[in-house]
Parts: sequence; structure tokens; C-alpha cells
Amino acid sequence: MARRKAEAGAGGRLDDYGGGPKKGAKAPAARRKPRQSARQKQEAMLKDLKAQGTRIFDDVGAGRFPQFSIPSRSVSNITYDEALRQYVLGGGASVRSSKNTSQLRSFTQLVWMAFFANRLTREKKSSTLRDVYYSSQAFQVEFDDQAESDNIIVDLEAVLSRPREDFQIFPEERSSIFGDLDIEYTIPGYEGKTMNLANHPDGYAIGPSLTTAELRGTSAEVVIAIEKGGLFTRFVEEQVDKKFKSIIINTGGQAPRSTRTLLKRLHDEMGLPVVILTDGDVYGEHIAMVIKSGSAAAAHLRELAVPDAKWVGVWATDIEKYDLPTIPMTEADIKRCHDLKKDPRYKKGIWKKELEVFLRIKRKAELEAFSKYGLTNITDKYLPHKLEVAKTL
Amino acid sequence: MSSEQFNQISPSEFFYRNRDLAGFSTPTRSLYTSVREFVENSLDACDHSGTLPRVAMSITAEDAERNDPKQYTLKVSDNGPGMPAKNIPLAFGTVLYGSKFGLKQARGMFGLGATMAILYGQITTNRPVHVESSTDGQTLDVFDIRLDIQKNRPVIESRKTAKARGRGLSVSVRLEGDYSKAGSRIRDYVYQTSLITPYADIAFNDPKGQKFRYPRMTRDMPPAPTVIRPHPHGIDVETIRRMTAESNFDVPAMDDRMMERVARALKVGRDADAATVAARAEKKWKDLTRQVRVAASIAAVLGAGLEKLSKVRVEEIDASSNTLTYWDYGESKSATVRMEPDGPFYRQLAGTVQGETLSAFLTKRFQRVGPKTAASFAQFAGFKPEKRMGAMGSQDLVKLSESLQRYEDFVAPDPSCLAPLGAGPLEMGMRKFFEPDFLEVVQRPASAYSGFPFVVEMAIAYGGKIESSGIRVYRFANRIPLLYDEGSDVAVKVVNETDWPRYKVKGEPPLVIASHICSTRIPYKTAGKENVSDRRELEKELRLAVQFLARKLSAYMSRKGKAEAERKRADLYSKYMPLIAQFCAELAGKKEAPDVARILEGMPGGKAQG
Repeated sequence: MARRKAEAGAGGRLDDYGGGPKKGAKAPAARRKPRQSARQKQEAMLKDLKAQGTRIFDDVGAGRFPQFSIPSRSVSNITYDEALRQYVLGGGASVRSSKNTSQLRSFTQLVWMAFFANRLTREKKSSTLRDVYYSSQAFQVEFDDQAESDNIIVDLEAVLSRPREDFQIFPEERSSIFGDLDIEYTIPGYEGKTMNLANHPDGYAIGPSLTTAELRGTSAEVVIAIEKGGLFTRFVEEQVDKKFKSIIINTGGQAPRSTRTLLKRLHDEMGLPVVILTDGDVYGEHIAMVIKSGSAAAAHLRELAVPDAKWVGVWATDIEKYDLPTIPMTEADIKRCHDLKKDPRYKKGIWKKELEVFLRIKRKAELEAFSKYGLTNITDKYLPHKLEVAKTL
Repeated sequence: MSSEQFNQISPSEFFYRNRDLAGFSTPTRSLYTSVREFVENSLDACDHSGTLPRVAMSITAEDAERNDPKQYTLKVSDNGPGMPAKNIPLAFGTVLYGSKFGLKQARGMFGLGATMAILYGQITTNRPVHVESSTDGQTLDVFDIRLDIQKNRPVIESRKTAKARGRGLSVSVRLEGDYSKAGSRIRDYVYQTSLITPYADIAFNDPKGQKFRYPRMTRDMPPAPTVIRPHPHGIDVETIRRMTAESNFDVPAMDDRMMERVARALKVGRDADAATVAARAEKKWKDLTRQVRVAASIAAVLGAGLEKLSKVRVEEIDASSNTLTYWDYGESKSATVRMEPDGPFYRQLAGTVQGETLSAFLTKRFQRVGPKTAASFAQFAGFKPEKRMGAMGSQDLVKLSESLQRYEDFVAPDPSCLAPLGAGPLEMGMRKFFEPDFLEVVQRPASAYSGFPFVVEMAIAYGGKIESSGIRVYRFANRIPLLYDEGSDVAVKVVNETDWPRYKVKGEPPLVIASHICSTRIPYKTAGKENVSDRRELEKELRLAVQFLARKLSAYMSRKGKAEAERKRADLYSKYMPLIAQFCAELAGKKEAPDVARILEGMPGGKAQG
């Protein structure tokens, strides 16, 4: 198979999965190329940071009290946007002004956070929430605890409308990826070095170097996100990547933000459809939902949701259809179902339908349940069927 | 139970058996109570004689090596008026003898406590009380006195005179006590007493060799209280019964001395006949004393001249049957005559045996009752104003007593019998004691509960030498510190119920409140005289006082808060603005930080930006 460097084919496969623009013709199995590179994104953000800095610099020099306008993240300002298919912030914004004595401290913290984000990005150093908290102490900026510092990081995300991964603050939990994807590192010491993510059968951890890498090309036509590490290994063993031209990602339960960012980039930059396989329970359904439409807590960000992602199983209806071994739902499971029913995203389509079936049968099944029919049943029978179903969703 | 147990006992015996009632339950308590009683007696004596008090107290252990409880000698000396030698044995050797029976404000009551201390000393150490007194500053009368408990009589063990070194009274008594336990109480007591008596000089030498001295802080001494008649709201049936009995006059004996007085008053000879006496008496009626009037009236009723009158003893005057029974010495027989119920002589005699009219009773024996009030009260109570007190049955007295309580148009009690400390001296005391940053004093106008007048004085002090340990309330009643049972005291209750955060007082403020209640009768909750009960009127006055002071404090706190906030604000900006400047400079890609001077100049108003 020829490796493509891929400006041309972007978006092609999306058509099959109902997400992209309907071009009618099936694009060739081409090497895909990113729409906006990691570097471009980074530069745009640095420009934003500089603009914020310049504004404050000018205010201070002129004897004016500088201020930030921060989109409000209060519950009353969070709504579900049908068009964007995710939670978004309304027009509400709060002003954090250095003129207000009670806000002076948090204003200073926010300026510092922007300053620190700028340094991290320019110096290409990765950091974590905890790390940032301790770093503050070198600059006489006090945070009472990590929660306070975490909050300021989220403030900066809101000001810049960018996830913190963009300014080098990464989650500590790692998930992994495997498949034919060429990347080019941008982190110091590895700049320009490339790597194919199918080279190591255990997969590659999705950390800062991978999240910030340029996506150079792939022959894959679909991304399969799977909830469990065990199944991820099975998929690699069974060469699902080759058989189904796919990139396999293990979300390790609820997908970390960097993984969601990467999923989003694979979809947006490489034009790959995303399908999600989870356990057949209400938590699995919600793992898929968060990948698809983000969470209310991240309503200020647009970079973390893949609205076109498809949840393909295990559905509640699959439990009956495939006669899977089940476990009864607990009280907590049932309560969770009722909670989700109130969420606007669960008021239509398969989301609503499957939730209702879960509530009716009051049983759940794990992905491993397919082993009842043999170890490879899930990759031989179930997966191909579901990939077909995904195209109709 | 046999009837033998119903023997009458003397007051001394009674208190001996019930000494814990009066605060002599344990050696600790007894030492403390004794200190209080003697110090308060000394201060009272000085107050009432207008002397700036100088009180020296010492407690010395008889045997310093022994463990408590042990014998101590308590000595209290003052520079007061002293006590005349003839009164000393009774005053210090009898229970229930004292000079404080009148209705006026005083620290102690009835002089009971001091004799109790002496009694306690005697029963624990078997030593007499030692008294030295000088009323003139020249001669000193020195007594050693014991109490005869069964007979409630003083027994003088020794008596001598010496040369005095100044006026005043000094009492020392040996008693069993526990200073190691009572010490902190006693020191607190002396400390707080000097706070509320800033015009006194108080010294205390304790048995461990520590010397405490609280010098006089002001010569401004409150005027001595005056003795006044009771207020109608403040008495009960028993008091009325006693007052009624006092209002019945005796018929004087018609002896030679009486006849001479009558003759002199009427300007007639000893041989004047009945008609002459009657005519003269009627003419000069207004100028005559009651006794002369009575004698003249009897002469007129009996038709007897002065000579015959002197041989008569009046046995009974019955106003209901209008008869007068007398014993005639001349004829050695008893006779009864009918009185015509008319004329001034009859009225005089009837009035004499039946006592005052209700109207006179009220106006003469109560404060602030005039003839008008008396008349309208009589109507309210359903009595005729001219009803004689002697003619009142016991039901009438109950009705009268109840009506006196219920009648609402009596003028409020006369506060002239009170001697509040005064805002000036109280302020002086507080300032010297606490050197506060803020001090405010208020004296409320006089009020009354149940006929007892009272005045509330209060001071509030903040900051200075006061520790930040929360609100402390120093309670005083009639210039006595109240040290214990704080939890149930009305002043503490009022302070605790005050919404302090509303007055900008938060956390554990360095705040002291001194509350002083002056009254002819402090409504103590218990015999221990340590906590005042929450009478509605009292609580109201205390509340008004606290609110007034808290408002003043609040204004001070605002001023202080504003200044502090501005300083804090300026501090904050000089800390944070340079940081902001540094960070934004790097963000903006500039080499040098912007000058923050212009923003900092705008401090502390923060008005730099439009």
C-alpha cells in the first residue's frame, strides 16, 4: 500500500460515516494530511497570548487598571448547542479587574498563568496541573492549594478558548494508540524526528510528545476507540488495524483530555471517522457521549469534542440480540440512567433508545462477554458488523 | 417529732446553723466572703460619710508552713468615720445589728455579713474579733469581742483606749480559710473593686508576700445617697401591716408632766376647768402638738379640768361604739362615757386610735404621692380617702397592697437614693485600667422595677492593653464586683444576645464591657449575690445601654476599618502591580516592565481609572 503524504484525500472517508460533506464519490484509500498543523495552532495561540500581554502592558504604562474578560462558566451560562452538538458557554462573561482589590490576587495569578503558558509553549516544556501549582512558588505568586491553581488554568482556557494541552499542560493519566499513523515530533530534542505508530505492538502512550506532534500521514480509514486495555491488545493481536484499515485507541475508561484532543485532531486534520466501542452499560454509553460532545465542565472549549464520533456498541439492544452473558444493574447504575435521561443529549436517537432499553432490562454486559462465542468472535463477527452499522448512523 | 424541737432560737444560733446560706460553706468560700463583707463595709462607711476611701487589707497565715485549709488573720482598715465606742459591742457582737436599714443604695445589707464572718471566725478558731476605732482621730477604742451565740449578745473580753493615729475603723478576725484556692478569687475581687471604685485607694497584702496596690485614680466621688421613703410599687402586705401599726398613735399618759405641757401650750393655769381648756384648745388648735390635742380632747369629752384629768388613765377609746373607758384614781373605779360623734375633739380621739386616714398614710409614708394621687388611688382601690388605717381589716390590707401594685399612675420611684458612679469616674477607671484605643461610657436615666429604682451605667473599651480573647464582661452591682455564676447573669445574657457582627465586632475582639447596676435592691438570683436576674425593666435598660455603646463602637470600627482597609489595599497593590508588570512585559515581548508608579499613585482611592 502506498504511503500518502496526503493533502488531497482529507475528509474522504467521512462520507461513508455520514459525518463529512457529501461529495458523492468515494475518496481513494489515500494517505491523509492534516488540515491545520500543530505548529500553526501553536503560533496562533502564542499570538493570542502576546495580544493579551500587550494589552495589559499598555494599560499599566498608561496608569489604567488592566482587566480580563472571562467567559462565565456558571451553570446559568452553560447551554447545549444543537448545531455544535456540545455544551457551550452563553454570552455571559465576568470581568476580572485589577482595580477590584478582592480580584487583584486572582488577576495577578491569571497574568502569571498566561506568562507561564507562554514560557512552556515557547520552551516546549510539558507540565501537569500539579507541576504548575509548584512552579508558581518560584515567582512569588501564591496559590493556597492546587485547586486554586487548577481553577486559574481553567480561567486561562476560557480566556483563550483553548484546552490546556495547547499550552503544554497535560493530564497525568495515559491512554494508548496503535496503527498506521506517521507523526513528526515537535518537542525539543526530537524535532523533525518521525515515527510510525504501528511499530510497537503494545501501542504508544498518548502523552505530551504525541499530543503535540504533527500528524503526517496515515493509510487508515477509521479510528476505533475502545474502552478497555484488554480488548485493545486483542485488537492489535487480531490485526484489526490492517483488516479494517484502522487506528486503534485505548481510552482506558473515560477518555483523558489529551486523548480526546488527539481523537479530534485525527478526525479534523486527517479526516478520519471515529467509532467508539464500550462496555454495554450506562457508563460506557456516557464515555462515548463525552468523546462525541464533551462535558459541561469543558463547555468553554471547542477542541475536545468530536461531534461526528459514533457509538457503535455494546448497545443494550445488542445484549438481547447477541444473547450476551449479563450482570444485573445496581441501584447506582439505575440512578445514573435516570440522571442521564434529563440531559438534552440523551433525548433522541440511539442515545435515548439504548438508555430506555437499559432501564427496561436492568442488566449490563461487558465487551469481554463476546468471548462466550470464542476469543475472536468480537473481531471476526461483531466488529465488522458494527463498522457497517456505523455508516448508517 | 417531739414538741421540744420547736424552741425559739436566736438569730446568731440560726445563722450558726445555716452558715452556708450566707456564703460560709467551705474554708475557700468563707475566706472570700469575709474579705468581701469587711471591704464593702469599709467602703460603705467612707461613702456615706463623704470620705475618699483608703482601705488596707491584709491576710496573713498563722503558720505559713502548714497546708491549706489553715488559720489566717484577715485585717481590714479604713479611714472612714469610725464607730462610737458604745456601738461597737453591739455592732460586732450581735447578729442583725447594723446601720443600713434605711432605703438607700449600699453595698451590703443590714451589716449581716460582717458579723457572720466574725461568727465564722469564732467557731473555727475560737478567737475573739479585734476592733480598733477612732471617730475623732485622737482617741482609739480597742475591743476584743466574742459572740454569745445562744443569747445573741456580745461578750467583751477586753477593752482599752489608746492614742489614735487617725480616724477610721480597723477590724481583724482570725478564721479558717484556704488561700491557695480562694486567692485568685480574692485578687480578682480587689482588682475589680478598684475598677468600680476609682476614687478609692486600695491595698492588699496577701499571705504569700505579694503586695497589690490600686492607687486612687480620681478625687471625683459620687454624692452620697439619701435615705428615702418607699415607693408604693415596692412593698408587700407585711410591710403595709407594719407601717399601719406605726401609724396608730398612743394615747399619752395623763401625768403631771403632761398636764404641765398642756397648761403651757394653752397658756392656762393648772387649775383650769374643762370649759376653759376646750375653748382655749379650739382656738389654738392648729398650733398644738398631737399629744396636747389628745389631752385637751379627753378633758373636753370627760368634762374634766386639768387637775381631775391628771388622776385619769384612759383604758380604751372605742371608735365603733363611740365610748371612752377610763380608770379614775380618785374614786378607784372604772367608768365609761359616751362620746358625741361630732366636733374636733371626737375626731381627734377617733383619729388617734384609728390612725391616719388612707390619704395621709399614702402621702406621708410613701415617696412621690400627693393628695391628688392619693385620692385617685383611693377611688381606684375602692376605699374612701378618709378611711382610717386602724379600721382596716386584714382583707382590706391585702386589697390595699394588691391595689398599690396594680395602680399605674404613681410617679416613678425617686432615684435620689441611688448613687451611681457617674460617667466621669467610670471612664477614668476604665482608661487607667485598660488604656484602650476606644472607650465610651453611658449612664442611663433612672428606671424602676417593682417600685425599686435603679440606674444602669455601662462602659465599653476596645483595643489598647486588652487581650484579644473575646468579649469580657465585668459585672458590678452597687459597686460590688460580681465574679461568679456569670452564665446566668442578665448583663451577660444581654451582651451575648447582642448581634456583634452587626456592629463590626468579629472574632475574638479585645473588648471589655463594664456593667454597673445601682439599685436600692438588686434583684439577685441567689443568696450568694453573684448574679442578677433578668427583670424585664432591667434587661431593657441594659439592652439600651449596650446598643448605645455598640453603635459608638461600630462608628469607631468603621473609621478604623476604613483606615486599615486603605493601608491593606496600598500594601496589596505595591506587592502585586510589579508582578503584573513583570509578567505582562514578557508576555508582550518587551524588554522592560512598564512603570507601575502611575497606578500606585492612584492609591488608596483607586480612582485612577475613570
